Amino acid sequence: MSPFFSNKRLIILLVCMIILVALIGYSMSDRKTLSWPEQFVADTVGTVQSAFSIPAHLAAGFFENVRDMRNLYTENQVLKSHLDEFASLQVELNQLRRKNEELEGALDLQDDLDLMDYTVRSAMVIHRSPDRWNELVGINKGAQDGIEEDMAVMTSQGLIGKVKQVSQFSSSIQLLSDQDITNRISAMADGDESIYGFIEGIDNESGYLQFTKLDIDAELETGQTVSTSGLGGVFPEGLMIGEIVDYENDEYGLTQTAYIEPSANFYHLDYVMVVERGAPTLEDDINPDAEADNS
Amino acid sequence: MIARYSLIIVVFILFIVEGTVYQIFAPDLHGFPYQLIPRWMFMLILLTGIFRGRGYGLFYGIVFGVFYDIVYSQILGIYTFGMGLIAYILSISIPFIKDNVAMTILTVTFGVVLLEYYVFGMMTLLGVTDMPHETFFNDRFLPTMIMNFTLLVIFTYPLRLWFQYLEKKFNELV
Repeated sequence: MSPFFSNKRLIILLVCMIILVALIGYSMSDRKTLSWPEQFVADTVGTVQSAFSIPAHLAAGFFENVRDMRNLYTENQVLKSHLDEFASLQVELNQLRRKNEELEGALDLQDDLDLMDYTVRSAMVIHRSPDRWNELVGINKGAQDGIEEDMAVMTSQGLIGKVKQVSQFSSSIQLLSDQDITNRISAMADGDESIYGFIEGIDNESGYLQFTKLDIDAELETGQTVSTSGLGGVFPEGLMIGEIVDYENDEYGLTQTAYIEPSANFYHLDYVMVVERGAPTLEDDINPDAEADNS
Repeated sequence: MIARYSLIIVVFILFIVEGTVYQIFAPDLHGFPYQLIPRWMFMLILLTGIFRGRGYGLFYGIVFGVFYDIVYSQILGIYTFGMGLIAYILSISIPFIKDNVAMTILTVTFGVVLLEYYVFGMMTLLGVTDMPHETFFNDRFLPTMIMNFTLLVIFTYPLRLWFQYLEKKFNELV
């Protein structure tokens, strides 16, 4: 029997390992766009995936509907009681809105950029990475539909993540629960004063989202809602993330860390909304990215 | 004509199903505490290597490794290298393994074990995950292996018949 790895094969193996390291280095580097072969493969596979996903979503939706039908009656009762509340809230909202407009007019705030403005594009989820090492989800809209990197992605219940990589007809979304160190989102907790911090992935033990870098003097309470702050440059303000369930001082005792129960469900994703902010992003002369591009 | 391309089409369909249909019904997304990672495509690639020869195993391993890397993971190269190398090493087309279903199953299972540990090692090395080995072994590795092994036991024999049928077809064509 000939030796399993002859000299020639050993050299080929070594060359392959060098290529492996080079490829990993290339994809771990801070690159912004996908190369064209990647886009081509992602788009081709994405088309087939859409064809498989539509019937699967339909089947899953059917089973869910059957399950829902059982508690339809009780749910209806609860919703009816909420409806009365809703009418009075609507009146209050209208009043406050009018008052706000008047006050803004008095202060000449009209031209100020409104961080809460946004438009949405809906997209279908076509895949999710089967090895659970990273929490990535693919959607069937890409650069041709106006999707751009780092846009916020949400369901009707709340924020779920951001657009990670865009190809022509599909793109991939990094969920808030992804462990990647660069997965960081500027957020704020709703108190008497807004408390600002970052959402940094999921806590391994409890399974809640980590809300870190909070001021040590900030008065946190369980049940406070956390939403996006709009300060990161790309996200609009006020997208719901979740509620605080617990908080503690961090390991160095300099800041606080809160744990957040996300309002959106990261597991049953079928249709998502990609959010484009209405307000302009940073101007070029103060945007470090643009400067780097010019030089 | 169909016989010629049926194998690659089936591998491709498994590749798609792992990421789309299976992910919608995946038990760990519906409250099941253990992760069941589908490795069906890779098992079929290993079977291809055993029944059709080393060249096919290597080719399928690399091509679908590239697909897996680009579509499902963000770090290129990991699956390309892993699937290619493991498929190459385990494509042992000797009669002892080919004609003995138990040996075939053992070889393929060994391949999946290698792949799981290789990927876990790479992800730890690159800092993508900080999962301790104990958690990995109990919550992920064992359930995954049980699920894949069960399917392998059920489907190896029919697949062997199919490979023999394909072999006959190819010989007729030539």
